[in-house]
Amino acid sequence: MGQFVQFTLNGLLAGTIYALIAVGIVSVYKATRVVNFAHGYMIMFGAYFYYTFAVLLPGLELMPSWLAKWEPDWLIAARENAPMFSPMGAVLDWVSNLPRIIFGITGAVIACAILGRMIERMLMRPMIGQSSFAMIMITVGLISVLSGAKGLIWTADAAFVPHIAPNAPVRFELFGNPVFLFGADLANAAIAVILFTAIVLWVRYSKGGVAIRATAEDQQTAYSMGISVPAVFGRAWVLAAATGAIAGAILATRNGVSPSLGLFGFSVLAIVLMGGLDSYVGVFIAALMVGFLEAMAQWQLGGEWAEVVPYIAVLIVILIRPHGLLGQKEVERI
Amino acid sequence: MINGNLKATYAADEQVLNNAYKRAFVYGMALLCAALPFVANDYIILVAAQMGIILIAVVGVNVVIGYTGLLSLGHAAFIAIGAYSIPILHTLFASLGVPEGIMPFLAIPLAVAISALVGIVVGLPSLRVKGLYLAVATLSANFIVIFLIELDAMAPYTGGFNGINTPEANLLGWQLDTQREMFALIAALAFVTILGVQNLFRTRVGRAFIAIRERDYSAEVLGISLLRYKLLSFAISAACCGLAGALFAYFYARILPEQFELVLSLQLVAALIVGGMGRTMGPVFGVIIVVMVPELLKYSFGIIAGGSADVAALRAPVQEIVFGALIIIFLMFEPLGITQIVDRGFRSLNRWPFARG
Repeated sequence: MGQFVQFTLNGLLAGTIYALIAVGIVSVYKATRVVNFAHGYMIMFGAYFYYTFAVLLPGLELMPSWLAKWEPDWLIAARENAPMFSPMGAVLDWVSNLPRIIFGITGAVIACAILGRMIERMLMRPMIGQSSFAMIMITVGLISVLSGAKGLIWTADAAFVPHIAPNAPVRFELFGNPVFLFGADLANAAIAVILFTAIVLWVRYSKGGVAIRATAEDQQTAYSMGISVPAVFGRAWVLAAATGAIAGAILATRNGVSPSLGLFGFSVLAIVLMGGLDSYVGVFIAALMVGFLEAMAQWQLGGEWAEVVPYIAVLIVILIRPHGLLGQKEVERI
Repeated sequence: MINGNLKATYAADEQVLNNAYKRAFVYGMALLCAALPFVANDYIILVAAQMGIILIAVVGVNVVIGYTGLLSLGHAAFIAIGAYSIPILHTLFASLGVPEGIMPFLAIPLAVAISALVGIVVGLPSLRVKGLYLAVATLSANFIVIFLIELDAMAPYTGGFNGINTPEANLLGWQLDTQREMFALIAALAFVTILGVQNLFRTRVGRAFIAIRERDYSAEVLGISLLRYKLLSFAISAACCGLAGALFAYFYARILPEQFELVLSLQLVAALIVGGMGRTMGPVFGVIIVVMVPELLKYSFGIIAGGSADVAALRAPVQEIVFGALIIIFLMFEPLGITQIVDRGFRSLNRWPFARG
């Protein structure tokens, strides 16, 4: 029972990260009716951008030294007083990394947003009005381009990046079971949930969000109501890329920076289809479900089973409910 | 459109090769392939054999994507099943005491049949879901098949991560132990596959596929059973990929699970898009490009790099970028592929010196 609670919590925390990745795919789909197969590789770029801005650039000679390691007097004094391996020590480590974490996240979000904008302008906008098959296949081609470009730009594999939040161990009791979690995982999950909620609320209530929903409903009508559809497309791609950058940074701290981050995109694609392509809530449920099932598979069957869980789950779900858990059924007229 | 293509009888109109251009091309290619093993050097034979194997697979992918309009991104799984069937069946036959000379005659059809059966299973979601959902369902199938091959429990049969040594084909005592001999077999089977599929689209079945591609509900209203024909389409394309896989296993001395991952599926789709979807010659042109690009890159990097390992290490990423860029460029500027460019050329030649275009 104790193990069950522990694995469930781990799974749910991982599930929130999936939800954060999925939000990018859903946003682009809602606005443009294109499923971005290359989203995982945009996330990989986010991770590498974070690595560049948080590790590579601060390590350069010409950068101010406080960027790589910020050590004001009070911090050094506090560290000397703190006992070894205490939560306080982890927090102090985090504080000294804070400048480069902020620099890294900002840099990754901006760089990734520019990347998303470029993809939208150069590849997607010329295709407006073409069949969605062609647009989807372009994102499939983008997989190879991005994964190759990564190989040209960054040659290092599996490098270490600083955690976004203090990585202090957290121990507490849940239903009488001792639970052990990492502070960074909790913080990551909190960031993911907050961002996810913020985007859902933004799409629901803000002017820009309403424009996205109107475009999703009917492009022609949206156009004639004065909504600039190309601008909506651009906004959706930038939104997806920016959330992807944060998700990439989080994944980089969890799994290390490596090209295999791109494969996450495919399992998240499976999650998105499971939840229903156009439903944020459905996708969130599906993400938590897959996170939970993966943790269970890892616990009972071993680590290698965890990676096929999303694919098996999506096959079962779309055989029973072809449009996902909460997806809207497409009405087709002949 | 080809002008001056008059038919006087129904029989002439119904031929597979129904005009002089096609006849000339097919007979010419057949002659070339027959002559190749006697004149070409080892390198050309290797490249040509690779082309033949991928061609058979892409012809299969063309049936499902190009003609039936079902988007599949997981056809490498069927190649994997065809390839892994061969060593497994050979060990099975050896334990049953089947003479080695007739093993390929049993193993190849069985491998094809197994692939077709798996194809039907993978095609099942195509009845409920379309387009994108199907693409992800087939993608999932690809991941699952590779996972099962790599699974520790399957390692005694598939060799797990490390791959498995594959037997050589022995046709009634003729040991196909050189690539030159294998090329003869591959070329013969590639011709059979491509003509067989071309023939399919003169028949009721092929027309049903095309009707489903154009509008599946309308096709159903016209009395085409979606269940039967979508599954049939998946089975045929999986069978072609299974054949390609079986030849792959005979051709190479060893197969590894990582050879059949998503990259291969994307390569098949890239070949199809570059060549032209839903056209007989599409896979042929596409495969020539897809196989030649890495070879040309290898050659040009050899010249640029000389012996420097740093530059040579850039070849794999550049190759990936070129593949992706090919897909994107063709979709944006010539969605009908090279077939369309060639058609345009033939058309203006045909009308020369009168009209152009």
